[in-house]
Amino acid sequence: MKNKIIILLLLLISSQLFSQERYLTKEGYISFFSHSLVEDIKADNYQVLSVIDKKTGEIAIQLLMKSFMFKKALMQEHFNQSYVESYKYPKATFKGFILNLKELDNKNGTVAVEIKGILSIHGKEKEISTMANVQILKDQINLSGHFMVEVADFDIKIPIVVRNNIAKTIKITFDLQHKSYK
Amino acid sequence: MKTRNFKILLIGLILIIISLFFIINLYNKPFIDIKKSNPKIEITAQEILNDYQADESLANEKYVDNLIQIKGEIADISFDNGISIITLKDTSGFSSIICHMLPEANLNILKLKKENQVLIKGVCTGYLIDIMMVRCVLNNDNFDEK
Repeated sequence: MKNKIIILLLLLISSQLFSQERYLTKEGYISFFSHSLVEDIKADNYQVLSVIDKKTGEIAIQLLMKSFMFKKALMQEHFNQSYVESYKYPKATFKGFILNLKELDNKNGTVAVEIKGILSIHGKEKEISTMANVQILKDQINLSGHFMVEVADFDIKIPIVVRNNIAKTIKITFDLQHKSYK
Repeated sequence: MKTRNFKILLIGLILIIISLFFIINLYNKPFIDIKKSNPKIEITAQEILNDYQADESLANEKYVDNLIQIKGEIADISFDNGISIITLKDTSGFSSIICHMLPEANLNILKLKKENQVLIKGVCTGYLIDIMMVRCVLNNDNFDEK
Protein backbone atom coordinates (compact mmCIF):
# COMPACT_ATOMS: atom_id res chain seq x y z
CA MET A 1 0.00 0.00 0.00
CA LYS A 2 2.71 2.38 1.03
CA ASN A 3 4.62 1.66 -2.17
CA LYS A 4 1.54 2.31 -4.26
CA ILE A 5 1.04 5.69 -2.64
CA ILE A 6 4.64 6.59 -3.28
CA ILE A 7 4.35 5.54 -6.93
CA LEU A 8 1.12 7.50 -7.28
CA LEU A 9 2.75 10.55 -5.73
CA LEU A 10 5.75 10.27 -8.02
CA LEU A 11 3.46 9.97 -11.03
CA LEU A 12 1.52 13.03 -9.95
CA ILE A 13 4.65 15.06 -9.44
CA SER A 14 6.17 14.02 -12.76
CA SER A 15 2.97 14.70 -14.69
CA GLN A 16 2.88 18.13 -13.08
CA LEU A 17 6.43 18.74 -14.14
CA PHE A 18 5.80 17.65 -17.70
CA SER A 19 2.61 19.62 -18.03
CA GLN A 20 4.58 22.78 -17.32
CA GLU A 21 6.24 22.69 -20.72
CA ARG A 22 8.15 25.89 -20.23
CA TYR A 23 10.36 27.30 -22.95
CA LEU A 24 12.94 29.94 -22.19
CA THR A 25 15.57 32.18 -23.72
CA LYS A 26 17.96 34.55 -22.01
CA GLU A 27 19.50 35.78 -25.25
CA GLY A 28 16.50 36.82 -27.29
CA TYR A 29 16.79 39.66 -29.78
CA ILE A 30 14.66 42.80 -29.87
CA SER A 31 15.50 45.91 -31.86
CA PHE A 32 13.81 49.18 -32.58
CA PHE A 33 14.05 51.35 -35.62
CA SER A 34 13.14 54.97 -36.14
CA HIS A 35 13.09 56.43 -39.61
CA SER A 36 13.02 60.17 -40.22
CA LEU A 37 14.13 62.48 -42.97
CA VAL A 38 17.08 63.60 -40.88
CA GLU A 39 18.44 60.22 -39.76
CA ASP A 40 17.68 56.56 -39.17
CA ILE A 41 18.18 55.30 -35.64
CA LYS A 42 18.47 51.63 -34.77
CA ALA A 43 19.28 49.90 -31.51
CA ASP A 44 19.77 46.20 -30.81
CA ASN A 45 19.22 44.25 -27.63
CA TYR A 46 20.52 40.67 -27.53
CA GLN A 47 19.83 40.12 -23.83
CA VAL A 48 16.10 39.60 -23.86
CA LEU A 49 14.56 37.19 -21.37
CA SER A 50 11.43 35.43 -22.59
CA VAL A 51 9.41 32.52 -21.22
CA ILE A 52 6.59 30.66 -22.94
CA ASP A 53 4.25 28.22 -21.26
CA LYS A 54 3.32 25.95 -24.15
CA LYS A 55 0.27 24.55 -22.42
CA THR A 56 -1.46 27.89 -21.83
CA GLY A 57 0.23 29.97 -24.53
CA GLU A 58 1.27 32.45 -21.90
CA ILE A 59 4.33 34.54 -22.75
CA ALA A 60 6.38 36.87 -20.54
CA ILE A 61 9.20 39.02 -21.91
CA GLN A 62 11.61 41.23 -20.00
CA LEU A 63 14.50 43.37 -21.11
CA LEU A 64 16.84 46.01 -19.78
CA MET A 65 16.68 49.39 -21.52
CA LYS A 66 20.43 49.79 -20.93
CA SER A 67 21.09 46.68 -23.02
CA PHE A 68 20.01 48.48 -26.19
CA MET A 69 23.18 49.08 -28.18
CA PHE A 70 23.31 52.06 -30.53
CA LYS A 71 25.76 52.92 -33.25
CA LYS A 72 26.53 56.24 -31.63
CA ALA A 73 27.42 56.77 -27.99
CA LEU A 74 25.57 60.08 -27.89
CA MET A 75 22.32 58.51 -29.10
CA GLN A 76 22.57 55.81 -26.45
CA GLU A 77 23.20 58.44 -23.79
CA HIS A 78 20.21 60.57 -24.81
CA PHE A 79 17.96 57.53 -25.11
CA ASN A 80 18.73 56.34 -21.58
CA GLN A 81 18.99 59.68 -19.81
CA SER A 82 16.39 61.88 -21.45
CA TYR A 83 13.85 59.77 -23.32
CA VAL A 84 13.19 56.47 -21.54
CA GLU A 85 14.80 57.52 -18.23
CA SER A 86 16.43 54.13 -17.67
CA TYR A 87 17.59 55.02 -14.17
CA LYS A 88 13.93 55.33 -13.15
CA TYR A 89 12.47 52.62 -15.40
CA PRO A 90 15.28 50.13 -16.06
CA LYS A 91 13.07 47.43 -17.61
CA ALA A 92 10.50 47.03 -20.34
CA THR A 93 8.11 44.09 -20.11
CA PHE A 94 5.47 42.31 -22.12
CA LYS A 95 2.94 39.91 -20.62
CA GLY A 96 0.40 38.19 -22.79
CA PHE A 97 -0.78 35.17 -24.69
CA ILE A 98 0.02 33.48 -27.95
CA LEU A 99 -3.49 32.61 -29.12
CA ASN A 100 -4.21 28.97 -30.00
CA LEU A 101 -0.62 27.91 -29.46
CA LYS A 102 -1.61 24.40 -28.45
CA GLU A 103 -3.44 23.69 -31.69
CA LEU A 104 -0.28 24.41 -33.67
CA ASP A 105 1.63 21.54 -32.14
CA ASN A 106 1.25 19.20 -35.09
CA LYS A 107 1.87 21.72 -37.82
CA ASN A 108 5.20 21.79 -39.57
CA GLY A 109 7.10 24.87 -40.62
CA THR A 110 6.37 28.44 -39.70
CA VAL A 111 2.83 29.45 -38.84
CA ALA A 112 1.30 32.88 -38.29
CA VAL A 113 -0.13 33.44 -34.81
CA GLU A 114 -1.74 36.31 -32.96
CA ILE A 115 -0.18 37.64 -29.77
CA LYS A 116 -2.11 39.83 -27.36
CA GLY A 117 -0.92 41.42 -24.18
CA ILE A 118 0.28 44.39 -22.20
CA LEU A 119 3.47 46.16 -23.17
CA SER A 120 5.08 48.26 -20.48
CA ILE A 121 7.76 50.83 -21.28
CA HIS A 122 8.80 53.91 -19.32
CA GLY A 123 6.34 52.98 -16.56
CA LYS A 124 3.37 53.19 -18.94
CA GLU A 125 1.22 50.26 -20.00
CA LYS A 126 -0.41 49.74 -23.35
CA GLU A 127 -2.44 46.86 -24.68
CA ILE A 128 -1.09 45.57 -27.96
CA SER A 129 -2.00 42.88 -30.43
CA THR A 130 0.26 41.72 -33.23
CA MET A 131 0.78 38.90 -35.66
CA ALA A 132 3.96 36.85 -35.36
CA ASN A 133 5.61 33.85 -36.92
CA VAL A 134 5.94 30.82 -34.72
CA GLN A 135 7.92 27.71 -35.40
CA ILE A 136 7.53 24.76 -33.07
CA LEU A 137 10.38 22.27 -33.15
CA LYS A 138 11.36 19.51 -30.80
CA ASP A 139 12.51 21.26 -27.62
CA GLN A 140 12.30 24.67 -29.27
CA ILE A 141 9.78 27.44 -29.99
CA ASN A 142 10.90 30.26 -32.27
CA LEU A 143 8.92 33.45 -32.31
CA SER A 144 9.62 36.33 -34.66
CA GLY A 145 7.92 39.36 -36.16
CA HIS A 146 7.54 43.07 -35.83
CA PHE A 147 5.00 45.67 -34.80
CA MET A 148 4.73 49.44 -34.52
CA VAL A 149 4.39 51.54 -31.35
CA GLU A 150 3.61 55.20 -30.88
CA VAL A 151 6.25 57.05 -28.86
CA ALA A 152 3.52 59.26 -27.34
CA ASP A 153 1.67 56.24 -25.89
CA PHE A 154 4.49 55.73 -23.42
CA ASP A 155 4.78 59.31 -22.27
CA ILE A 156 8.25 59.63 -23.79
CA LYS A 157 9.04 63.29 -24.33
CA ILE A 158 11.25 64.27 -27.25
CA PRO A 159 12.72 67.79 -27.11
CA ILE A 160 11.67 70.13 -29.94
CA VAL A 161 15.26 70.49 -31.18
CA VAL A 162 15.47 66.83 -32.18
CA ARG A 163 11.78 66.29 -32.90
CA ASN A 164 12.51 65.92 -36.62
CA ASN A 165 15.24 63.35 -35.95
CA ILE A 166 12.99 60.84 -34.23
CA ALA A 167 9.95 59.16 -35.75
CA LYS A 168 6.59 59.32 -33.97
CA THR A 169 6.05 55.65 -34.71
CA ILE A 170 8.81 53.18 -33.95
CA LYS A 171 9.17 49.74 -35.49
CA ILE A 172 9.96 46.99 -33.02
CA THR A 173 11.42 43.73 -34.33
CA PHE A 174 11.74 40.54 -32.28
CA ASP A 175 13.38 37.17 -32.73
CA LEU A 176 13.10 34.91 -29.72
CA GLN A 177 14.41 31.36 -29.88
CA HIS A 178 13.14 29.57 -26.81
CA LYS A 179 14.51 26.26 -25.68
CA SER A 180 12.69 23.74 -23.58
CA TYR A 181 13.50 24.47 -19.96
CA LYS A 182 14.15 21.66 -17.53
CA MET B 1 33.70 99.15 -47.08
CA LYS B 2 34.18 96.12 -49.23
CA THR B 3 37.07 94.82 -47.13
CA ARG B 4 35.01 95.33 -43.96
CA ASN B 5 32.15 93.26 -45.34
CA PHE B 6 34.62 90.65 -46.41
CA LYS B 7 36.12 90.52 -42.92
CA ILE B 8 32.69 90.08 -41.29
CA LEU B 9 31.85 87.37 -43.76
CA LEU B 10 35.18 85.64 -43.13
CA ILE B 11 34.79 85.75 -39.33
CA GLY B 12 31.22 84.49 -39.63
CA LEU B 13 32.36 81.64 -41.83
CA ILE B 14 35.15 80.67 -39.43
CA LEU B 15 32.71 80.69 -36.52
CA ILE B 16 30.31 78.47 -38.43
CA ILE B 17 33.10 76.03 -39.30
CA ILE B 18 34.32 75.90 -35.70
CA SER B 19 30.82 75.28 -34.31
CA LEU B 20 30.13 72.66 -36.99
CA PHE B 21 33.36 70.95 -36.01
CA PHE B 22 32.26 70.81 -32.36
CA ILE B 23 28.76 69.62 -33.22
CA ILE B 24 30.07 66.83 -35.48
CA ASN B 25 32.61 65.86 -32.84
CA LEU B 26 29.94 65.67 -30.17
CA TYR B 27 27.61 63.72 -32.48
CA ASN B 28 30.37 61.21 -33.21
CA LYS B 29 31.55 60.96 -29.64
CA PRO B 30 33.05 57.48 -29.32
CA PHE B 31 32.13 54.81 -26.78
CA ILE B 32 34.70 54.38 -24.03
CA ASP B 33 37.53 52.05 -24.95
CA ILE B 34 36.87 49.13 -22.62
CA LYS B 35 40.24 47.52 -23.19
CA LYS B 36 42.25 50.62 -22.34
CA SER B 37 40.10 51.91 -19.50
CA ASN B 38 40.61 50.98 -15.90
CA PRO B 39 37.65 49.33 -14.18
CA LYS B 40 35.85 51.46 -11.63
CA ILE B 41 34.96 48.43 -9.54
CA GLU B 42 36.76 45.10 -9.13
CA ILE B 43 34.65 42.36 -7.64
CA THR B 44 34.08 38.59 -7.58
CA ALA B 45 31.08 36.96 -9.28
CA GLN B 46 29.70 35.87 -5.92
CA GLU B 47 29.95 39.33 -4.39
CA ILE B 48 28.07 41.11 -7.16
CA LEU B 49 25.40 38.38 -7.24
CA ASN B 50 24.96 38.69 -3.48
CA ASP B 51 24.53 42.45 -3.83
CA TYR B 52 21.87 42.02 -6.54
CA GLN B 53 19.98 39.39 -4.61
CA ALA B 54 19.99 41.53 -1.48
CA ASP B 55 18.68 44.74 -3.06
CA GLU B 56 18.33 45.16 -6.81
CA SER B 57 17.81 48.92 -6.99
CA LEU B 58 20.67 49.62 -4.61
CA ALA B 59 22.91 47.34 -6.67
CA ASN B 60 21.76 49.09 -9.86
CA GLU B 61 22.87 52.42 -8.45
CA LYS B 62 26.24 50.95 -7.63
CA TYR B 63 26.95 48.94 -10.78
CA VAL B 64 24.83 49.92 -13.80
CA ASP B 65 26.70 51.89 -16.47
CA ASN B 66 30.00 51.40 -14.69
CA LEU B 67 33.02 49.59 -16.03
CA ILE B 68 33.36 46.55 -13.80
CA GLN B 69 35.90 43.78 -13.62
CA ILE B 70 34.49 40.49 -12.39
CA LYS B 71 36.49 37.48 -11.28
CA GLY B 72 34.65 34.21 -11.62
CA GLU B 73 34.40 30.66 -12.87
CA ILE B 74 33.05 29.95 -16.36
CA ALA B 75 29.78 28.01 -16.33
CA ASP B 76 29.15 28.17 -20.05
CA ILE B 77 30.51 29.59 -23.31
CA SER B 78 28.25 30.03 -26.32
CA PHE B 79 28.30 31.70 -29.71
CA ASP B 80 25.07 33.23 -30.86
CA ASN B 81 24.48 35.61 -33.80
CA GLY B 82 28.22 36.15 -34.00
CA ILE B 83 28.41 37.22 -30.38
CA SER B 84 30.25 35.15 -27.81
CA ILE B 85 28.59 34.89 -24.47
CA ILE B 86 30.41 33.81 -21.33
CA THR B 87 28.29 32.88 -18.35
CA LEU B 88 29.91 33.11 -14.94
CA LYS B 89 28.80 30.76 -12.22
CA ASP B 90 27.15 31.35 -8.94
CA THR B 91 28.12 28.83 -6.30
CA SER B 92 24.66 28.83 -4.77
CA GLY B 93 22.58 27.98 -7.83
CA PHE B 94 20.07 29.68 -10.07
CA SER B 95 21.46 33.09 -10.90
CA SER B 96 24.52 33.78 -13.00
CA ILE B 97 26.33 36.62 -14.76
CA ILE B 98 25.82 36.74 -18.52
CA CYS B 99 28.65 38.55 -20.30
CA HIS B 100 28.22 39.54 -23.94
CA MET B 101 31.74 39.84 -25.31
CA LEU B 102 33.08 42.33 -27.84
CA PRO B 103 34.09 40.65 -31.14
CA GLU B 104 37.75 41.46 -30.46
CA ALA B 105 37.70 39.03 -27.52
CA ASN B 106 36.66 36.07 -29.71
CA LEU B 107 40.12 34.67 -30.37
CA ASN B 108 41.00 34.51 -26.70
CA ILE B 109 37.68 32.93 -25.84
CA LEU B 110 38.56 29.93 -28.02
CA LYS B 111 41.32 29.12 -25.54
CA LEU B 112 38.90 28.98 -22.64
CA LYS B 113 37.04 26.03 -21.16
CA LYS B 114 34.29 25.59 -18.63
CA GLU B 115 35.44 25.96 -15.03
CA ASN B 116 38.36 28.21 -16.00
CA GLN B 117 38.85 31.18 -13.73
CA VAL B 118 38.62 34.44 -15.68
CA LEU B 119 38.70 38.17 -15.22
CA ILE B 120 36.08 39.84 -17.38
CA LYS B 121 35.84 43.59 -17.82
CA GLY B 122 32.66 45.17 -19.16
CA VAL B 123 29.67 47.39 -18.58
CA CYS B 124 26.82 46.25 -16.33
CA THR B 125 23.32 46.92 -17.70
CA GLY B 126 21.30 45.52 -14.81
CA TYR B 127 19.51 42.39 -13.61
CA LEU B 128 16.67 40.25 -14.99
CA ILE B 129 17.09 36.78 -13.50
CA ASP B 130 20.79 37.08 -14.16
CA ILE B 131 23.20 40.00 -14.07
CA MET B 132 23.69 41.34 -17.59
CA MET B 133 27.01 42.66 -18.88
CA VAL B 134 27.71 44.15 -22.31
CA ARG B 135 30.80 45.12 -24.31
CA CYS B 136 33.01 42.78 -22.30
CA VAL B 137 36.66 41.89 -22.84
CA LEU B 138 38.88 39.33 -21.16
CA ASN B 139 41.67 40.59 -19.01
CA ASN B 140 44.31 38.46 -20.70
CA ASP B 141 47.20 39.04 -18.35
CA ASN B 142 45.42 37.38 -15.53
CA PHE B 143 43.39 34.42 -16.69
CA ASP B 144 44.75 31.07 -15.73
CA GLU B 145 44.75 28.30 -18.30
CA LYS B 146 44.07 25.00 -16.67
